[in-house]
Amino acid sequence: MRGRWLFVAISAAGLLPVVAFLLIILWMGFWQGSPGEPVVYTLKHYQTLFADPSTYRTLVNTIGFASTTVLVSLGFAIPTAWLVERTDVPGKNLIFALVTIGALLPTFFTSMGWVFLLHPRIGIINKLLIEWFGLEQAPFNIATLIGMGWVEGLGLSSIAFIMIVASYRMMDPALEEAARVHGLGIFRTLRYVTLPLTLPGIVAAAIYIFTIGLSAFEVPAIIGMSNKIFTFSTYIFYKIQPLEELPNYGMAGAVSSLLVVLALLLSWAYFRMLRFSHRYAVVTGKGYRPRRVELGAKGWFCAWFFLGCYFLVAKFLPFVLLVWASLLKFFQPPSWAALEHVSLYNFYGLPWNLMLQGARNTLILMLSVPTLALILCLAISWTVLRSGLRWRLTFDAVAFLPHAVPQLILAIAAVFAALFLLHNVFSLYGSLAIVIIVYTISRISFATRIINNSLAQIHPELDEAAFVGGLPLLQVMRKILLPLLKPALVYAWLWMALLCYRELTMASVLVTSQENVTLPMIVWGLWLGGSLNQAAAANLVVLAFMLPAVTLYLIFGRRSRFTEAL
Amino acid sequence: MISLAGLRKDFQTGDQAVAALRGIDLEVGKGEFFVLLGPSGSGKTTLLRSVAGLEKPDAGEIILNGKTVYSSSRRISAPPEEREIGMVFQSYAIWPHLTVAENIGLVLTHGRARLPKNQAAERIRRCLALVQLENFDNRPARLLSGGQQQRVALARALAVNPALLLMDEPLSNLDARLREEVRTNIKKLTGQLGITVLYVTHDQVEAMVLADRIAVMSHGRILQIGNAFELYRSPATALVAEFFGSINWIRGKMLDGQRVESEIGPLVTETSRRYDGAVVVGIRPEDVKLDDAFNGVENRLDGNVVSSNFLGDQVIAEVKIKDKILVAKVSPEKERLAGNVAVQLPRNRIVVFPEKATGEPVA
Repeated sequence: MRGRWLFVAISAAGLLPVVAFLLIILWMGFWQGSPGEPVVYTLKHYQTLFADPSTYRTLVNTIGFASTTVLVSLGFAIPTAWLVERTDVPGKNLIFALVTIGALLPTFFTSMGWVFLLHPRIGIINKLLIEWFGLEQAPFNIATLIGMGWVEGLGLSSIAFIMIVASYRMMDPALEEAARVHGLGIFRTLRYVTLPLTLPGIVAAAIYIFTIGLSAFEVPAIIGMSNKIFTFSTYIFYKIQPLEELPNYGMAGAVSSLLVVLALLLSWAYFRMLRFSHRYAVVTGKGYRPRRVELGAKGWFCAWFFLGCYFLVAKFLPFVLLVWASLLKFFQPPSWAALEHVSLYNFYGLPWNLMLQGARNTLILMLSVPTLALILCLAISWTVLRSGLRWRLTFDAVAFLPHAVPQLILAIAAVFAALFLLHNVFSLYGSLAIVIIVYTISRISFATRIINNSLAQIHPELDEAAFVGGLPLLQVMRKILLPLLKPALVYAWLWMALLCYRELTMASVLVTSQENVTLPMIVWGLWLGGSLNQAAAANLVVLAFMLPAVTLYLIFGRRSRFTEAL
Repeated sequence: MISLAGLRKDFQTGDQAVAALRGIDLEVGKGEFFVLLGPSGSGKTTLLRSVAGLEKPDAGEIILNGKTVYSSSRRISAPPEEREIGMVFQSYAIWPHLTVAENIGLVLTHGRARLPKNQAAERIRRCLALVQLENFDNRPARLLSGGQQQRVALARALAVNPALLLMDEPLSNLDARLREEVRTNIKKLTGQLGITVLYVTHDQVEAMVLADRIAVMSHGRILQIGNAFELYRSPATALVAEFFGSINWIRGKMLDGQRVESEIGPLVTETSRRYDGAVVVGIRPEDVKLDDAFNGVENRLDGNVVSSNFLGDQVIAEVKIKDKILVAKVSPEKERLAGNVAVQLPRNRIVVFPEKATGEPVA
């Protein structure tokens, strides 16, 4: 096949940095040095790490945070997935739309809203409760592990929901019908058939969410850091960008290495569990609709009460609070007196020049990152599925790594490489290029998975027929595969563009100058600087910019493809 | 045993309503093996699932064993677990997380009966013996072959001592050889137990072998109810005739009495029905007689053999009469037929339908 090596070369170009980043992280753990000093290799970082009690405190924090996240997200996802997939609850399309929007709402956005709601000092719910019941102290505190897990869990509940829905859809509904017909009621059917059969899928989702929780950055950074509660992600970040001392890349490398090992182990467990759940999968092929449990008017009311509370609490309340906060100079609970202070002051006072620069950069990222990622991943998918190359499965395994390795760590590896390895060759540090590179690499797993799924459904004889007809590979790609893959590509492009827009985790390390500043970073910068109300205003502006892109996504990206990404 | 009256059901696909059942009336007697036969989309599975309570009709009434389980006018709709039925699903629906014995045990200990463990164990043993799976009780069900799963599904359905057994295309996922064997077993077993069976299939041979009576369904309606012989020999509509084996259709015009002026010549029939104007006349290939002479018999026509294929037990010949080609199945006395032949269409084997009988086009 003419052109085959071009594709393999492009895939390799996309995947080599992944391997390089992982090696850099491992290497960093033994590395010590600062600009102008000779580099030393040492075991010191690991010794310090294991001797330091704060390591164990961070470990306990991280596990507590991630576990709460799992409980909160599944607490929403399991009942909602059952309602949508197995009952006659009305408004299913609305639920899917709200869940999708929920998944797109940046976590740093809701986190700020929650601080305004439940912070012990300024949170309005706390203030109201203290006032009404004459309490001594605030009853709730968002700046705790439970509080942070709550916010993160609500943020990840959309993903959890989609995963649980997938495990319901994999199951032959006749299995439940057989129970009903032979005399088991709704609850016995749930307990003896539905639950045991979906349990592997639920456990897989729990592991998946837990893995995300372990390395989640935004919530711990916005709520935890200012209250001195560290999880591994903020701990690593603090080593790179400490307030007083010099950056300690060695320590960051050591912690990151451990986290990478942990994440890889969890990913392995996830895939084991997923395979286990596929054992029960029955492909009926017949598009017959399962019996819906009839809830009746009372049931509908209860179901929508639950869903309404969730959407209100998880998405709407934080939003309202941000709007309120953005209109005030100093935050205070809503009241007639407070209404007099409402103004657009915060919006006038925003650093508009910086925001324009940020908007420009973010737009460049949204256009370039998805495009680059799709080009790389088309080549990777083709190499894995069609090239017949002996090493193709290695390509597949490496393409999966960016999914398992925490994004923060990818970004740190890139910064380290730019500072200490490539500094004499290119000047990447602080440039927009490094942001583009790392964002693109971090999306490789996602895009490869989407394209793999679609490409696997296109019969190889379709392209073989074109080869036999004498078309070179590039033409086969252009004339045959690209048109057939188009729906998947459009969906993946839009989704990645939206993720680029809301990305803060990687930006927190990569963005070091005005030259490569992004919109979420400006919001976070205001927040860290203590201008909470201005940060709220900036957040709303950022969200308003995002709206057209979300609309495009809802129109062109089909929701069913969402499941393939997991 | 089963009594259905005026059953209707629409499905909403997109913004369009598709009628799955358009007024079904049906009586099935106790101990009867009753088959619902029809092409896919005819509504037979919807009918079965409505009886099971897995589908809720829009209107009508369902009475099982003297108990009204569904009535739109009286606003009754019993959930499936309250109807005394056993059911075998097309996919068997064997619970993959349980063993063979647990699959049966679950419906015994947690179903309608709520038997204590020891009684359940005894019943499980008996049911497995019934389907010749005595030593499979501890086998994980998902490791069984298709045929074995089918037997477990049958054992589970019978375990609850149902008044009525429902079967939804239970043989369609088995290979041809196994299908015949299982078919015989089902017939024998249900006969021994004297149980009432409602059975859905699209395979007319299966229906003819198993059924005491068959209802032929199409587009949400029952076209005809009868035993296999009645349906084959005296189909009520052209569609029923086509569904049971192949048939030659000849266009014509009804004259007085039972005579038809057809596109191949005048024909005498025994039809008892009067149709005005255009009709189609049907005759099955095995009823088309071929000979050298056939002098002096009625419905004799001159034809010309255009093709002839020897199939061992029969010869299939295509005979051209005027511009019309008829297929004839004759006994294999010669290797091939050729040239001019005399064709006879016996009057008692001819069926007549109005050209637009049920709105279905006639091939």
